[in-house]
Amino acid sequence: MKRVLCAWFGAVLLLAGMAPLTAGAVEPIKIGFGMALTGGLAGNGKAALVAIQIWRDEINAKGGLLGRPVQLIYYDDQTNPALVPGIYTKLLDVDKVDLVISGYGTNLQAPAMPIIMQHGMTFIGLFGLDVNHQFHYDRFFQIQPNGEDPSISSIEGFFQAAMTAKPTPKTVAMVGADAEYPKVALEGARKIVKQLGLKIVYDRSYPPTTVDYTPIIRSIQATNPDIVYVASYPPDSAGMVHAAHEVGLKATVFGGGMIGLQFASLKQQLGEMLNGIICYDMYVPSTTMNFPGINEFLAKYQPVAKEEGADQLGFYLPPFAYAAMQILTQAVETTKGLDQGKIAEYIHATEFDTVVGHVKFAANGEWAKPRVIFVQYRGIKGNDLEQFKKPGTAVIVAPAEYKTGDVEAPYSAIAH
Amino acid sequence: MAAKRFWLIAILVGAVFFGLSLLVPNQYYFQAGYVVLQYIVLATAWNILGGYTGYVNFGVAAFFALGAYSSVALYKLAPLPLPVLILIAGIVSGVVGLGMGYLTLRLRGAFFSIATLAMAVVMQTLITNWDYVGGSRGAYILRPAQVPILGNYIVYLFLIMLILAVITIGIARSIERSRLGFGFAAIRDDEQAAEAAGVPTLRLKLVATTLSGALMGMAGAPLPYYVTYLDPASGFSLSYAVNSIAMPLIGGMTNWIGPLIGALFLGTIQQLATVTISSALNLLIVGLLLVGFVVIAPNGIVGLFERVVERARGRR
Repeated sequence: MKRVLCAWFGAVLLLAGMAPLTAGAVEPIKIGFGMALTGGLAGNGKAALVAIQIWRDEINAKGGLLGRPVQLIYYDDQTNPALVPGIYTKLLDVDKVDLVISGYGTNLQAPAMPIIMQHGMTFIGLFGLDVNHQFHYDRFFQIQPNGEDPSISSIEGFFQAAMTAKPTPKTVAMVGADAEYPKVALEGARKIVKQLGLKIVYDRSYPPTTVDYTPIIRSIQATNPDIVYVASYPPDSAGMVHAAHEVGLKATVFGGGMIGLQFASLKQQLGEMLNGIICYDMYVPSTTMNFPGINEFLAKYQPVAKEEGADQLGFYLPPFAYAAMQILTQAVETTKGLDQGKIAEYIHATEFDTVVGHVKFAANGEWAKPRVIFVQYRGIKGNDLEQFKKPGTAVIVAPAEYKTGDVEAPYSAIAH
Repeated sequence: MAAKRFWLIAILVGAVFFGLSLLVPNQYYFQAGYVVLQYIVLATAWNILGGYTGYVNFGVAAFFALGAYSSVALYKLAPLPLPVLILIAGIVSGVVGLGMGYLTLRLRGAFFSIATLAMAVVMQTLITNWDYVGGSRGAYILRPAQVPILGNYIVYLFLIMLILAVITIGIARSIERSRLGFGFAAIRDDEQAAEAAGVPTLRLKLVATTLSGALMGMAGAPLPYYVTYLDPASGFSLSYAVNSIAMPLIGGMTNWIGPLIGALFLGTIQQLATVTISSALNLLIVGLLLVGFVVIAPNGIVGLFERVVERARGRR
């Protein structure tokens, strides 16, 4: 009996001792997302994750969000859209996350939308193409500087720059993969080409499974175009550049919407072959893009990325992923809570200063003002990545606001 | 067990399972359950041709995506209830299955399998270039958030897939114990001998390809309502074919319960791996399990169980 009483007494003391500890423990703010950490989009997914983790470490070092530590809960969506509904339901119903952001890419954002909308969450998307045009969700925001009409804004800079080339181009060849982004880009390019009065001499698409691009470049060459506009995903972008180099493509301007040329891996692989190409980009080191905090962010990102096997330069997606978290931080701290409606209202009403510049959202959640840049690669020597970290190898030729140089043409005369 | 009694028990089990599922307080269970049920339908449908008849079909994704894109096309044409879309998808995929059967009637073994793989490539190319269903850009499907009585739309999708799974298992089991099933088994064991013995092999093969194709298409029909955005790359994903073949192989290919066990086992492991290990390791799991089962239990879990039972009886 005495022993039982002692045990009860001990248990009560233990619980009493634990009580202040439990009351003092602060519940973390959970931020949930799915991210492509394996599969086709893993290269960028990993880079985005590193950026978000840097933000988490910084915010926790400052005392957290609303005085609570931040915890990231994320799952690998394996670049598989069919897994996305399950992942976001798990995050919201089982893990009970307080805030959500999206994975990388259009087809990994769209499947999450019905679940997000059902829960009334504010949702920040990473590099999706016009995802909200079907859903019309007023708590959706896209982190990609495409502007309200992505089909035009991500292309027109290329043609603006191309038309400044000497001799002035008169004909254009357009080619792209049979896939989502190239299809949108080519549609936009046709509209712009019509406005500019250029003559289309080649307008074809190729299956995404294509491996040999030399016949495509040869048939383009046979039409003798002044401008060659390519809309492609990373493997085809590399294939097209290799083929143009091999065939000795003769054109005044070559480039366009070639996804992949922004990545460290392709920059390193293609090296000098990039010289002369004009391509879209989101950020390059230059005097006109010296946004507050960008250099500090990249200084933190690059060593971590090297260790983690993510994109070593981090110019493409990482600063934008970090900017998404800056926006979320400001919205949560200013509204002093996690009320999703208030957070969305605040994001709609505010212009944010981020590491990727000023961000203001339009009613459809896209950026109010497009800010895609077009760069011409120049003076690249060998395959050393360090040369891309300094201004000069990627000269901004459009838009005028960020311009650091004029177009050099013809492409065929530039050593590559 | 009589066919009628089996159907009754299957419906009862399905109803009890759904009733118990409604007690689960979170929607994630229904999301994950939908995927597992979808694989039960796919694996059982594949087994009708691959397991019963011995014709290995690598074109699962083609039939599955055909069902999904039938829904997309009809959604754009006129909004129809999901059960009607499933029925139409079944007819479309069944007709394509019949066509595939006719085109490949002279092919056997690896040549048949390669032809089905080629058909998936042809189908994907056609869909990629068909702008009406979104083409290479993909298509959005806006589903209602709520449905009457059941509430959340995912519960409705879960119920639809559960009904489809019960029907598919019922069909597979009925075939197994019928003249049709014996005919399929005769083709699987020795097609020439079966032909010589008077088994109408061509007709039976066409029945198998049509039925298998139709059920796969029916499994694909609700997919656009599940993912809400469908593009050819995800609709024709190789993982559907890999899983649909791996599940009967792991469960057992010669009877209806094998694909069911395989799909429950592998499907559940994959769903758990997605939110625990959280990486594409789940495909590695499929690969390792396949290698393991081929070595340890070539007749799947059912075969292993039968062997254990036989040994136990032998000892007595």
